[in-house]
Amino acid sequence: MISAVTCHQVRKTFGSGDTVIEVLRGVEFSAHLGEMTFLVGPSGCGKTTLISVIAGLLNASAGEVSLFGIHLPELGSREQILFRRKNLGFVFQQYNLIPALTAAENAAMPLLAAGESLKSAVNKSKVVLERLGMGHRADQLPRTLSGGQQQRVALARALVHEPRLIICDEPTAALDHESGETVMQLLSSSAVHPDRAVVVVTHDNRVFHYANRIAHMNDGVITHVEEKRHKPHLS
Amino acid sequence: MIAVAFKLLCYDKAKFVAMIMAIALAAFLMQNQGSMLKAFLGMSGSQIRDVREVDFWVMEPDTECFDQAKPLPDKALQMIRGIEGVAWAVPILKLDTNGRTDHGKLRTLSILGVDPSNRIGEPKMEKGQVEGINERNVAVVDPGGWAILFPGIAFEPGRTIRVHDQWLTICGISSASPPFTGLPIVHTSIFTARELNRGESRSSTFVAGKCADGRKVQEVLERINRLTPWQALSRQDFMDQSYRFYEGQGVPMIFNITIMIGLLVGTAFTAQTFLMFVKDNSRSLITMKVMGVTHKQLAVMMAVQAAYLTFLGLAIGTTIATLTSEFVRQIPFLRGLYTPVPVVLLCAAFMAGIAFLSAFIGFRRVLAMQPSDVFRS
Repeated sequence: MISAVTCHQVRKTFGSGDTVIEVLRGVEFSAHLGEMTFLVGPSGCGKTTLISVIAGLLNASAGEVSLFGIHLPELGSREQILFRRKNLGFVFQQYNLIPALTAAENAAMPLLAAGESLKSAVNKSKVVLERLGMGHRADQLPRTLSGGQQQRVALARALVHEPRLIICDEPTAALDHESGETVMQLLSSSAVHPDRAVVVVTHDNRVFHYANRIAHMNDGVITHVEEKRHKPHLS
Repeated sequence: MIAVAFKLLCYDKAKFVAMIMAIALAAFLMQNQGSMLKAFLGMSGSQIRDVREVDFWVMEPDTECFDQAKPLPDKALQMIRGIEGVAWAVPILKLDTNGRTDHGKLRTLSILGVDPSNRIGEPKMEKGQVEGINERNVAVVDPGGWAILFPGIAFEPGRTIRVHDQWLTICGISSASPPFTGLPIVHTSIFTARELNRGESRSSTFVAGKCADGRKVQEVLERINRLTPWQALSRQDFMDQSYRFYEGQGVPMIFNITIMIGLLVGTAFTAQTFLMFVKDNSRSLITMKVMGVTHKQLAVMMAVQAAYLTFLGLAIGTTIATLTSEFVRQIPFLRGLYTPVPVVLLCAAFMAGIAFLSAFIGFRRVLAMQPSDVFRS
C-alpha cells in the first residue's frame, strides 16, 4: 500500500507556560491510497487537531507529517495553499457551503480558486453533481436544500478538482441516518479511488462498515488501528 | 473569483443597501456642502467677473473685497488715465443703500453706477434693453433682485423703487451674476448713482481699466501702485482677494463642519457595516481560504467589492446632489449654485478612501482568521 499521509511522533501543543495543553502526544498515523481510513475516538481526543495538522491548517509542534512524500511545513505559506488547493478536498460537518452561491457554484469553488472561469468551472461541477444525483438542484441556493443534499454538494466540491486526499470531518453528524447512509455510499463509491485516499473523522459507528481501516484515537494518541477485511469499493 | 465577490456582496440585500446608502449619504453631504461653499465663495467675485472688458481695478488701499467699496477721490480717474501703459480707464461707483418699491417693500440695494458713454461695466440682459439706463433715474436689476423687490410678480418694465427722494424706474432684468451678499444688484448710470450717493462728495469707488496693446498687466499694475496712493489689482487678483476675504470670515467653517460630519458618518457607517459583512461571512471566507483561495485573491475580491460600493454610492450621492443643486438653482439668489467637477472628484477620492479603508480593515480580519477554525461547528 502506498501511503498518502504519514504522521510520525506528531505533537501539538496550545498555549504557553502554565496553561500549555498538549493535544497530540506523539501520533503515529497513516492513510493509504485507494482506502478510506476512519479516525475515531471520543470528543476532545485530538481528531480535529490531527486532521488540521495533516491538512496543513495547523503546524505540528514536533514530529513529522508528510503528504505524498512532501513535508508541508517545509513549504512556504503560499506553496502550502497551492498544494492544498490542488491535492486536498474537504467535507465538513456543517457543509460550509457559501450561502450566496448556487450548488453548482459552490461545488466549483476549488476550480474558481485555481483561476478557472466561472462558466467552465460550473460546467465541470454540474457533471460531478449529476454523478452524485444532484444535477437537478445545481442552480439552487444552499438554503433551499436539505441537509443531505447540502452534504452531497459539499462532496461534489471535494471531488470536482480530483484531489489526491479527501478529508471529511464528521460528514454524517448533522444528518439523519438515511441521509448519512446516502452520503457515505456516495463517498465510498465516488471518492475512493486507487490514486486517492480518504480520511474520515467520525463518531458515527453506524457507518464504520464503510472503512478500510479504523484508527482509534484517545487522549492525543492513536491507540490501535483496526484493519477491515472487505475490499474497498473502487470507482 | 470576481463573480463570487459580487455575489457575496449582493447576497445580504439589507447590508448591501445600507453600505451603498451610507456612501451615498456621505457623498451627497460632501458634494452638496462643497458645492454650496464653492458657489458662495465664488459669488464674492461675481461683480468683478461680470466686467469682462477690463484688465485691472484700482481702489482704496484698505479695500479687502468688492463689497467693501470705499470712495476714491475724483482725481483718481484722471491720474490712472495718465499713467503710461493704460489704454483707457472708467469710473465705477458702488453703493449700498435702502430703497422702497412702489408696492411698499423696503429693501437694501447694491447699486452699481457705470459710465454710459463707454458702456464698460454694463450688464448683459435677460429682459429689456440695457441702453435704458442712459436715461436719468432708470435702472436694471438682476433676477434675484427682482424676486426680492417684487416677490411673486412677473417682470414688467416701469416698476419703480424710491431711493431717498428719487424714483428709479426699472427698465429690464440683467443677467448679472448673483452676489455674495444676496442684495439686489441694480445697474444704473454713474450719474444717477452719484445722485443717490447722498452725503458723499467723491464720485467713484473703483477705477477699472485696460492696458495698452503689448503692455504686460503686472508691469502696468506696478506702475500704478508706485505712482499713485491707491491699490491696483488685476481682475483675477481682485476676485481672489475678495474670495480670501470671505474665506477668512469663517464662512467655510460652517460648511466644512457639515462636510466633516458627512465624512465621519460615512466612514463609521460604511466601515461598521463592512466589518459586519466580513463577520457574517467569516465561515465562507475561512472555507475559501481552506479551499486554496489565496490572500491575494481575497484582497482583490474585497477591493472589487469596495470599488463597486464606491461606484454605486457615489453615483447615487452625486445624482441626488446634482438634482438638489438644480432644484435650489430655481431660487434666484442661488442661481449660481452648481456641482463643480473638482468637488465631485474630491468627493469620489474621499468615498473611495472610505470604502477601501473599510475593505482594508475587513481584510485584516480575514487575514487573522485561522483556517483550522473551519472545523469548528
